[in-house]
Amino acid sequence: MNENLHARAEKLIAQDRIEGIAQSERDWLAAHLRECAACAQIAQQTDDALRTLRGLPVPLPRGLAARTQFRVQLRAQEMREREPKRRLLWIMCAMSWALGIATAPYVWRAFEWVGEHLGVPRLVWEMGFGLWWTIPALVAAAVVLLENLRQAHERDQAR
Amino acid sequence: MADDNKALAQGLKRRDPDLLDQLIEQYQFRLFRYLLYLTSSRERAEDFFQETWIRVLERGHQYDGKYKFEAWLFRIARNLVIDWQRQKKMQSLDELTDPEDGTPKEFAALNQPSPLNLVLTAEQKSGVHASLEKIPTVYREVLVLRFQEELGLEEIAGILAAPLSTVKSRLYRGLEALRGAMPGRPSGQGSAA
Repeated sequence: MNENLHARAEKLIAQDRIEGIAQSERDWLAAHLRECAACAQIAQQTDDALRTLRGLPVPLPRGLAARTQFRVQLRAQEMREREPKRRLLWIMCAMSWALGIATAPYVWRAFEWVGEHLGVPRLVWEMGFGLWWTIPALVAAAVVLLENLRQAHERDQAR
Repeated sequence: MADDNKALAQGLKRRDPDLLDQLIEQYQFRLFRYLLYLTSSRERAEDFFQETWIRVLERGHQYDGKYKFEAWLFRIARNLVIDWQRQKKMQSLDELTDPEDGTPKEFAALNQPSPLNLVLTAEQKSGVHASLEKIPTVYREVLVLRFQEELGLEEIAGILAAPLSTVKSRLYRGLEALRGAMPGRPSGQGSAA
């Protein structure tokens, strides 16, 4: 028999189990396997190997699910306790932004006045005004970052 | 199925404690088995098992229900293992696992007993175990996902964050390695597609 036929059969045996094959290919393969003992053996070995893999026993550690459930519940509780704090932080941040927008024209004039009286270059007091605007967001970001770092540290320690 | 996933996604977003308990029970075997194959250590697999569920709690809102939950779960677990490997200044999974560029390596240190070694009975060890141990983890991982978890190729690609062609290539090579590794069959016989 042509070597190419065996190679095709072997390819189809694997393809059938991995991706699936068309009905026409399946028919061809079935016919080939009826005639070719070597390829039929390969198909059998493949099925045996997969059966062995599927049947491998993996005993679960005792109480793994219960321990995990306990840890998850603890963490959930911790998150619930922290949630109001975080919400408060964002509310304060939002209020600060809202106030910032409302008072921006006055603050601009104040910065301008102080800048002129102190002889500070325009660029500097303009930058000061910009910084004043970003402070709430920077503070909020720093708090969140520190919180995340602390949590990561706690996780590392727990592990 | 899509509705189930949507309901699951909503429950995870709410951090529903009963749902989480139920999911932990439901997926404990499959997740532990996958982690065992990845880490080659029962202790580590246990740690990662717990960490995975903590991560599910924390990031449950990211699951949108479009895909199977187990695919998302396995991806979280795999990413945790990769992060840990990186933290330990070891090679990343992908560096380890690109057999197309050369001989693939095992995840765990060579002197550690493999998960197969740990779980098989003495009788089983005599035949199957010795041969299956020879299959590199990179192949075992896709074999487990495809033939034990019965995930689709796209889902596996999603978990591995690898192209579909890579998944297929690993599966063909893995299947060939698995077949070749069976007792009573000289390795190297036959060829993968």
